[in-house]
Amino acid sequence: MSSAAWSPSSLRRSVAVTWRTLRSMRTALILLLLLALASVAGSLVPQVGVAEARIAAMVRDHPLRARIYESLGLFDVYGSWWFTLIYVLLLVSLAACLGPRLRAFLRNLRSRPTPARELDAMRHYAQIVVPGDPDGAIRRARRVLRRRLFRVSVPNGAPALAADKGLAREGGSLLFHLAFFVLLIGVVWGKGTGFSGQAVIVEGETWTEAHANYDGTVREGRFFGEDHSGIQLRVDDFEATYRATGQPRDFVTRGELLDARGRPVERVEIRVNHPAELGGVRFYQFGYGWAPVIRVERDGVPIADGPIVCTQDAPAELSPLQVPWSCVVRLPTLEPQVGIRFELWPDRRGLLSLLQTGEAMPMLVQYAPVMTFEAFEGDLRADRVQSLGVLDTVAMRRFETGVLGAGETVDLGGGLTVSFPELRQYAVLTVSRDRGLWIVLFAAILILLGLIPALYTSRRRLWVEAEAAGTGAVLKVGGFALQRRSQFEEEFGKVVDELRGASGDRVGA
Amino acid sequence: MSGGSWARLSTDAFTVAFFAYLIGMLASFHHLAFRRKPVWVLAMAATAVGVAAHLCSIVGRGIAAGRIPLGNMYEYSLLLAFLVVVAYLVLVEGVGRVRTVGGFVLAFAVITMAVAVLFLYVGPEPLIPALNSYWRQIHVGSMIVSSSLLALGSVITILYLVKERHERRVAATTPPIMGGSVHLEDAPPHFEAGADEPAVSTGPARRGLLPPAATLDRLAYRTIAFAFPIWTFGIITGAIWAESAWGRYWGWDPKETWSFITWVIFAGYLHARATSGWKGRRAAVIALVGFLSLLITYYAVNLWIVGLHSYAK
Repeated sequence: MSSAAWSPSSLRRSVAVTWRTLRSMRTALILLLLLALASVAGSLVPQVGVAEARIAAMVRDHPLRARIYESLGLFDVYGSWWFTLIYVLLLVSLAACLGPRLRAFLRNLRSRPTPARELDAMRHYAQIVVPGDPDGAIRRARRVLRRRLFRVSVPNGAPALAADKGLAREGGSLLFHLAFFVLLIGVVWGKGTGFSGQAVIVEGETWTEAHANYDGTVREGRFFGEDHSGIQLRVDDFEATYRATGQPRDFVTRGELLDARGRPVERVEIRVNHPAELGGVRFYQFGYGWAPVIRVERDGVPIADGPIVCTQDAPAELSPLQVPWSCVVRLPTLEPQVGIRFELWPDRRGLLSLLQTGEAMPMLVQYAPVMTFEAFEGDLRADRVQSLGVLDTVAMRRFETGVLGAGETVDLGGGLTVSFPELRQYAVLTVSRDRGLWIVLFAAILILLGLIPALYTSRRRLWVEAEAAGTGAVLKVGGFALQRRSQFEEEFGKVVDELRGASGDRVGA
Repeated sequence: MSGGSWARLSTDAFTVAFFAYLIGMLASFHHLAFRRKPVWVLAMAATAVGVAAHLCSIVGRGIAAGRIPLGNMYEYSLLLAFLVVVAYLVLVEGVGRVRTVGGFVLAFAVITMAVAVLFLYVGPEPLIPALNSYWRQIHVGSMIVSSSLLALGSVITILYLVKERHERRVAATTPPIMGGSVHLEDAPPHFEAGADEPAVSTGPARRGLLPPAATLDRLAYRTIAFAFPIWTFGIITGAIWAESAWGRYWGWDPKETWSFITWVIFAGYLHARATSGWKGRRAAVIALVGFLSLLITYYAVNLWIVGLHSYAK
């Protein structure tokens, strides 16, 4: 590239052209429509964090298409570089446009309405005769317009005035647009310094807010300073209630919040729509499940004892209430190693119904819970990456199956016994911290506050001149509105009427 | 009365409202074509009966379910159609004094109600916990009010496009001295009546019965500008509700995404109105794209796209 092509003046020119293009309303309009178009893509293609299962299905069934989508960022549209580019360009264009407008608005705000000539050439014009001298007529006109909340300025010398109204329109519009920067700051700061994840807490257990304690991954923001709060939540009781139809009525997690040193702070009831909060960390009711307490003993010595979190993999055509829960107990210290797979029926009648009629019955309450189990021995292959709820039985042999009711104990042989003393529930809570919440809410309120005057008020200007005519004065009134012209016609008529009325008697037009 | 009889009252009133609107629609179209005053009176009377029955249907539904009837798509559609008709009566007939738009608005209400009863009907049932929040009334209420206004504005926009095209054609084919008729040879005997009086019902002249394009344009703009802040408010309250129910104020759930898309398109419309070269037809086309997006937001997301709002089906 020759140096001539990049001389400072041509560079400056191209920067100026780019800047001017960015500032134009047309560019903003096209960017807005592009933003809408890009969002459409995000609603049609399954997105990371919203529809993970459908992404996995596409990777499996259409690997080529999935790879193309992946490389285009279509699985994460709202985090992709091109989506970011569109809204950043939109905000830059907005800034470019708002700068001069803001300056002009502030100038306008400080300055007084300027005088005008040739009032009779304006869109609205009226000429009336009032008694009294011109200066008095102007004083009265000033009063009339002030009462109507016009800004009025009376120039020195001439018996005339200039008035205007409706700065709120431009002010509102500026507020509306500026609020988007506040919104962006709130979103970036809040998401950037915050985190969000899920906690699985069994009844009776205490959970500490720390990176390692989340179930699955915890999403931490880009500017997150590893400052997890360390506060604790002890869950005493979880309760799910259903109507007779199987429709859920209420989900409640009851417990106590403790600060980072373990001191109790307050008792809480976490419901859907009613999160609990401590130190900016919020707990939302998300889901629940069953956690049977399972004790395994060998020769009377306990080798495993505690609640086991059961999960569910319900097929789409069945309600999750109709499907049993499954969980796994691993005993790696035994030789050979032992793994036991359980299927839990929180309501015994669910299992009986399936066995007798082949129909799955919804299990709404805990009723004589029962588990079926399969015990395996061999190699657990614990050195491989495994899913917590799935037993890898490739190197194992099944040696026992059976049924285990609540409060019962079964003998697996070889001195091994398994008992099921009680069934508990666990609560799944979404735990998050978003410090930008209040900034975002504030920005949203500013957006609304700006929008209303920006759409519903109008800018109008009015001038009055007075001339002596015989014993009275001739008032010339001219004006125009930049928006809502038909309404201004009415307002203008009323102003003229009031100017006439202000003089005490009607002298004709 | 028991819940069952309230539910029956609700469905009966629905039927009355549906057929009243249908009669009102046919009468409005008849009036549009032939300008008979009694037919207009009939249209208004039928519409009034429809609105009264419609209100009974909504109230009956609420009592039968024991809650404010804003819990599923059937109930939303019921209120949406109601508000479109009421907004039409207040804004177009009342404030705008335009008497020729009614048939199209009632057609929209009739279609909405037909879709509601055919595809979206569910019995009056209590709500699942996620919906059990006072934000529901505020969020859903403002979404439905603004949807009905946006729908009304879009119906008027369609009429504007038809009329604007006609006016352009007339301006192009007729020497200015001749006034309003397109076909001078077969001009009717009462042609002298004046350019503002409609000619007989030839194709293009029938369209001439609509109010001037400028009036329709202004009316459409006002309606949409009225709806836009309410839509904005609806999105904001939805975000507040989502924050308390799901732990985040925005998660790009399909319904959220589409309400945002609709918002962006109508924001584009409002900007286009202030941009030279985009006023009039181009802006109107943007409004129609926005209307399409509104329909997707309202129907498609619940019926075909799986998301957190799916329960609203």
